[in-house]
Formats: sequence, structure tokens, C-alpha cells
Amino acid sequence: MADILDILDIEQPGASEITRDSIIHGDKVKKKYVTAKAVRRPEGMHREVFALLYNDNKDLPPLLPTDTGKAYKQTKAKLGMRKVRKWVWAPFTNPARKDNAVFYHWKRASDEAKEYPFAQFNKQVSIPSYSESEYNQYLKSEDWSQAETDHLMDLCQRFDLRFIVIHDRWDKAAFRDRSVEDLKERYYNICSILSKVKTNPWSNTVTMVNGEKRVYHYDAEHERKRKEQLKRLFDRTQEQIDEEQMLLAELKKIEARKRERERKTQDLQKLISRADSGNSVANTQANVTNEGVTMPSNTVSNIVRRHDRKLHKKKLTTQQRLVRVETVSVEWSGIKFPEARGTGVWLRSQRMKLPPGVGQRKTKAIEQELRLMNIDIAPTPTEAICKHFNELRSDLALALDLKNALASCEFELQALRHQYEALNPGKTLSIPPSICNLNVDGEAKPIGEIIDVVGSPTALNTTI
Amino acid sequence: MSGPNGMLYGGDEIGALVFDPGHHSLRVGYAQEDTPKADIPAVIGVGPATHIPDAEEKVPDGNVTQTATKKDELRYYIDVTELHVPRPGMEVQTYMKDGQIDNWDLFEKMLDYCYSKVIRSPSEHHPALFTEAVWTTRPAREKLAELLFEKYQAPAFFLVKNAVLAAFANGKSTALVVDAGASQTSAVPVIDGYALVSAAVRSQIGGDHLVTQAKNMLNNMHIQMVPIYSIQSKEVIRERERARYTLKTLPAGLTQSWQQYMLKRQYEDFVHCVAQVSEVAYDDRTAASVPGLHYEFPGGYHQDFGPERFKLTECLFEQSLGAPHLVCAAAGACDADARAALWGAVVACGGGACAAGWLERLAKELAGRAPSAHRLKTHAPPAPNERRFAAWIGGSILASIGSFQQMWISSQEYDEGGKGQLERKCP
Ligand SMILES: Nc1ncnc2c1ncn2[C@@H]1O[C@H](COP(=O)(O)OP(=O)(O)OP(=O)(O)O)[C@@H](O)[C@H]1O
Ligand SMILES: [Mg+2]
Repeated sequence: MADILDILDIEQPGASEITRDSIIHGDKVKKKYVTAKAVRRPEGMHREVFALLYNDNKDLPPLLPTDTGKAYKQTKAKLGMRKVRKWVWAPFTNPARKDNAVFYHWKRASDEAKEYPFAQFNKQVSIPSYSESEYNQYLKSEDWSQAETDHLMDLCQRFDLRFIVIHDRWDKAAFRDRSVEDLKERYYNICSILSKVKTNPWSNTVTMVNGEKRVYHYDAEHERKRKEQLKRLFDRTQEQIDEEQMLLAELKKIEARKRERERKTQDLQKLISRADSGNSVANTQANVTNEGVTMPSNTVSNIVRRHDRKLHKKKLTTQQRLVRVETVSVEWSGIKFPEARGTGVWLRSQRMKLPPGVGQRKTKAIEQELRLMNIDIAPTPTEAICKHFNELRSDLALALDLKNALASCEFELQALRHQYEALNPGKTLSIPPSICNLNVDGEAKPIGEIIDVVGSPTALNTTI
Repeated sequence: MSGPNGMLYGGDEIGALVFDPGHHSLRVGYAQEDTPKADIPAVIGVGPATHIPDAEEKVPDGNVTQTATKKDELRYYIDVTELHVPRPGMEVQTYMKDGQIDNWDLFEKMLDYCYSKVIRSPSEHHPALFTEAVWTTRPAREKLAELLFEKYQAPAFFLVKNAVLAAFANGKSTALVVDAGASQTSAVPVIDGYALVSAAVRSQIGGDHLVTQAKNMLNNMHIQMVPIYSIQSKEVIRERERARYTLKTLPAGLTQSWQQYMLKRQYEDFVHCVAQVSEVAYDDRTAASVPGLHYEFPGGYHQDFGPERFKLTECLFEQSLGAPHLVCAAAGACDADARAALWGAVVACGGGACAAGWLERLAKELAGRAPSAHRLKTHAPPAPNERRFAAWIGGSILASIGSFQQMWISSQEYDEGGKGQLERKCP
């Protein structure tokens, strides 16, 4: 636009746009130097010489270099992107005030007079009101006089339902001291009574849900109890806090131990079911052994937990559990060798690698067993050797686990025997040879029998 | 105040004044400024008007307020430049008593001085916001409103509890405010901008108590505090050497109260420079390990102060009167639901809180005493002046907030409703 105006030589209205010039020079009108008539260069004079003698201003050329160019001057920049607008000290009234008081403030001369902007923040809580007759009809209470109720409603209005402040400013000289809960209870009671009998609901306690009035119900008893608890919590002495800390730490320890025990039980259970499934393939009398095999794990843990107290109860649980024997899921897992990977070329010997899940100790133990059996620990991996070798090692791993389990069962059995003897002095617990001659020659027995530690009811009945 | 998109921001200044009267000084200035225009000692020199002015007084200075009426022939000397000149017969009096204004005639002189010499603008142009202690009695509040409206024709007036303002100055509306003033230390819970009056506690241990302690300590150390106005010249001496100075000839008839006041100022200076609060309860060994601090007395005597610096301030943290105890008592007196918020915003203010190490000690002691169920946080502005002027700054902020402008008691309202409405309008 400015360009066109310039071209047409039309006078621009007072520049409200900003240019670099208007920022730097402000409103100063540019001085125009009226240059004197140009002096002609005399004939024959060199242009350079003439330029030295006469410049535009007809001044003599300076003798010394001078630095008067604009470029080096400190320019006074005008900040702000628009021209300044005037401020005036003007009177105003505030619609949030009831008295129309006039105060003065600074405002832009150009701003049109409008409502005081901060008046929009004038928000008030609406508090129910009641007339004398309404009070007598609905709100009468043995505990509260009308004067006291009035005082409460007045304070609610003044302090916008900040009950803690209301409680603080409660007129203790005129009325008896009341707790925050008492005040709240009375207030919300009044609200709910009035909202039933009067039409205008006050926003804060009545909400409309599906066209139906819902009144906020204040449960004073609950609040009182809550506050009582809170106070007790805050008023604990250091010793009490320390004791509580100590107890909590103990509880944690107990729980950790419990978890540990459960984990052990589960491990045992898994192991047994594994052995069971491994057995059931070979064993013709799978059913018979199953009963004996799956049980002990539960009973072992039971015994650990309540060894000396409830022996008869233990019996009961074993019998109950017997019913569930069939449902125990059996899964085979000795060592799971990974499936052959699908892509690319690979060495068959890869298949014989023990998976990373097998620990160092187990690997060592398996190798030891292999050596005992005179088997190369790295045989030539033909297809068949691979398969059998893996199966063998898997079985070995399982056998090792079972041996370990057996050892710990044996240990527990001995421990229980000692306990029994300690509790019943004079008596000795004769352990039937079917379950205690394990350490003599383990291999001779089928695994099912080996693990049948104390589990079968008959065994228990005979021992105790 | 309003942005381009109709958004409202900032405040709205209406030329209001903020007054923060205390036992030590009166702070006065325009709302919306960040420091008061003047911090005037809360005492006034009252002397006979008939005395012959001496040389330095002939220089026309604007600080003398000549408001005395002809018949009582008294002249009032306000602010240090006037007050600190030795004048025969000039008594020093204070208008404060027990945290509130008590001598109204004297206080009027102070207000005259503020309007004519500090604000330099007629009182009827400026709404006035006053701070008050939580314990200010109803007659004192009403008297102040009456004075402002009737004598000074203020267009509007408002009274706010100084604890509330100190909380505002720290950006809080809910806080537990510890005010370490000159005459007392107090702890006041503030909930949503309302001070809980019944839970507020105070003790008489404040800056003045510390000054008395310093005086006793120096007496016991046989260090003499020579009044600075009585010294003509002094010689440079070595540390702990006897002071050598010559005395001025002073006008006869200097009053006891003025001399006491001047000495108190000197002891105050000593306290401000030397006193330090140790981080944990005083212990000889740790105190001795901290390097000493050098102080030169007006007479020229100078020496290093070591463990004494710490020993001096221990009185501020006495078991049952110190600030930590007050905070716990105030928090304990509050409703259980409010306590968590209060412990989370302990705000320290007042001149006493400027003492080196004071805040750290408070925080440490509170951490030991606060119920462990609460998160404890102690706030205070970092700059000492902002701590000392916290109440004034809060007033300055409040009086320049746009939505506050509806709260003033205007002169119309006063004319209609009288001073009885003060209790309702300024809770
Ligand atoms: N740096 C400092 N170190 C120690 N004390 C200080 C320091 N600065 C100020 N004081 C003390 O603080 C006190 C003044 O505090 P403040 O101005 O808050 O009191 P006040 O509000 O006038 O009095 P009050 O609250 O009791 O009415 C004086 O006693 C002064 O000695
Ligand atoms: Mg104070």
C-alpha cells in the first residue's frame, strides 16, 4: 500500500505503521537541506580536484578524518511496535461494590468506558435463608437455639463455608463451643430440610440428577471418628512411632518368610509332578503311584508349618486332598531344548547345546554323571545321537532334582522325628522301612515310592 | 490489566497506601511497589518548642513537623535525622503498646509526618490499607478507622492481619506464619487468607529481648558502650586495647529516655552485626570452631567475638518460648484437617528472622518436632529486607489486586454504617 501511495505521491496519514526510521528517529521531522545551486565544474578541471573543492554542502573538505556519520551515533531506539497511547488517571466504579464508591486508576484514554473487569471475579457462595416462621416450622432443634443457628448461617455467608475459619470465629462468649463437625452437621441438616420444603435449591448442596433432587448428606459420626483417628495419628509419641516401625518391619520379615516357604512348596510340587509324568509313561500302575506321588508336597509344607500342634488336622487335609489327585496336571520338563531354528544354515551340534536356563551347577552335575556313565560329553552329533543324547541329559537333570528333593525330604523326616521325640519323651518314632531306607539304594525303588514320604494316609496312621 | 484477547492479568493500582505499624518501626509506601517508601522508627521525640535551634538545625530541612498547637508548645521529632540529634528536654515516646497502637495523639503526629514528608500528597487522595497484629482489640481497630476517615478523609480504608499479608507475600493463602518481631514472636495459622485467631500463639521473646541480652553480655564482658553522639574524636588502637577518645560537650538536659533509646540503637547494631544462630543447640566445642567476627564499638574499642555470637541467640530458641515451640503449639491448636497444609507451608517473617542462621535453626528444630506424618516445608524470602517487610509487601500486593478493590470500606460506607461494620468487613 505504502508503495502505491508513494508512487502516486499521496500524502500518508500519520504513520501508525512502523519503519526502521520511525523507531530510530521517533517523530522528528527529517530536516531537508536546501542545497545551493550546483556549481559548475570549470572547463579543464579534473573531476577529482573539483570534488575535493566543492562538495554538496559547499564546505571545505575536512582536514582530519571525522566520525560524524550516522552510523556511529548512539541511536535512541523507540521501543514498542506502536505509537504510544495516552494514559489517564480516571475515576471508575466497581459493580461488585454495593456503595458505588468512586476510585481512581490509570486507564488508556482510548479505552472505552466499560464495566470494571475485575468485577467478574466477585463470586459468592449461596447460603440458604429462612424466615422466622420457617424456622419454627421446620428447623427447630433441641440442641440449637435460633440465635445460634442465625449466627452459624451468618458466619457461613461471611467465610464462604470455610468451616475451620467459622469454627475459629465462633462466638464462644455467647454460645457454647462446638466442634467443626457439629457446625457442619447443623448446616447441612438445614440445607437438606430447606431443600425439601423450598423450591430454590442452593447450588452447593443440592444437585439435580435425572430431574431428581439429590441433597448432600453429611455423615457427622463418620467425620468425628475420622478426625479422632487423625488426631491420634498426629499425637503419637516418638516411642509409639518407633514401635510401629519395628512392628511393620517384623511383619515384612514374616511375610517374606512365608513367601519363601510357599515358593519352596511350589518347586517341590512341580518337581514331583514332573517325575510323575515321566513315570507314568513307564509305569504300568500309574494310578496307584499317582496317589502317593502328588500328595506329599502338600503335606510336607503342612508339616513344616504346624508340625507339633495339629497332627490330626494334617491327616484330615491329606484325606481331603486325596480326592483331587487326578486333577493335578502333569507336565514333562527335564530340560527343554529349543526347537530347531527355522532359517539359515546351522550346525547340528547347536541342538545339543544346553539352553541358557540350565544353571552352571546343573551343567557340571550332568557332565559328571555322563562321565560316570562313560559317555562322551560332546558326541558326534548325528541326528539320532542328538536326539538320544538330549533325552538322556534331560532325564539326568530330572533325576538330579529328584535326588535333591529326596534328600531334603529325608532331612525333614529326620527333623520331624527328632521333634516328635523331643515332645514325647520316652517314645521313639519308628519310621517304616518303606520310606526311610532311601539312602541305602535309591535306584532300586520306583520313584513314586521314593517320594511317598509321609503322604499316604496309611503311612501316617501307622506311624502316629 | 487486560490483555489483547480479553484475558485479565496483573493488578489494578488505585493509588493506595500501605501502612505497617510495628514496635520497631512503621513501614509506609505505595501499593504495587516492592519496598516501602519509608521505614520510620516507631518512636517520636517530644520536646519543648521553645529551645533555641542550634547551628545544624538552621539549615532548612523538611523533616521537622511543626504541628504542635500553640498552647502546649510541643514539638515532635520524627525519623532518624531529627530524632538522633541531641536536644535538651526531648523525651522519646512510643505510640505502640502490646502489639497495637495505643497513644493516638502521637500516632497522629506520625501519620501527619507520613503524608506530608513521605507521601507528599494529601491523604484524601489515597485509600489506606493498614496491617494489624492478630490480637488487636476491637476499640483499637475502630479508633484507627475513625482516625483515617474523620481526620484524614481517606477515600477508603482496610485492615488486614499482618500474618495473612506475610503469607501472601510468600505466595501462600494457607500458611503457618512465624513472625519474629521486636516486641514479640508469634505463630499464626492462616487458612485461605483468614487468620485463625484462637489458634495463634505468641511469646514476649523478640528482637528487644535479644538486645537486652546483648547489653547484659557486654556488661559482663566489661565492654563499655559509649554513646556515639558524645564522641568528639577517637584514636586508632590495637585489638582489645583500652579505648582512647575525647568527649564532646553536649547540651545539658538530655533526657534519660532519649539516651536509652540511642544506646538501644547501638546495641541493636551490635546484635545485627555479630549475633548468629547456631544450627543445632549451642555447644561449646562447635561454637569455638567457628572463626570469630570482628566488631568495633563506637568508642573505638574492638575485638573478635567467637562463641559469644552463638550463645547470645540461644535465648530465642528457648524450650517453651522460642519460635519452634510456638509453631508446634499453633499447629496443634488447629483442626486436624488443616494441619497437613500448615506444616507444608511454614512461613518465616519479621526482623528477627533476618538474623544469620535463624531460619536454618527453625527448620531443623521443626523437623525434629513436627509429626512425622506431615511433610514439613519452611519458606522465607531470601533477601533480609523482604523478610522484614513481608507484611508490608503482602499489603502492597493485596491492595493492587483488581479483585481486591471491592473489599475496601469506602468513606460512603463508613458514613452510612459507622465503625461497627469493621468487624464484618475486615475479618
Ligand atoms: N539482621 C538482623 N539480625 C537480628 N535481628 C534483627 C536483624 N534485623 C532486624 N532485627 C531485629 O528485628 C526487630 C524488628 O523486626 P520487625 O521490623 O519485624 O519488628 P516490628 O514489626 O516493628 O515489631 P513488632 O512485630 O514486635 O510489632 C528488631 O528488634 C531488630 O533488632
Ligand atoms: Mg511486626
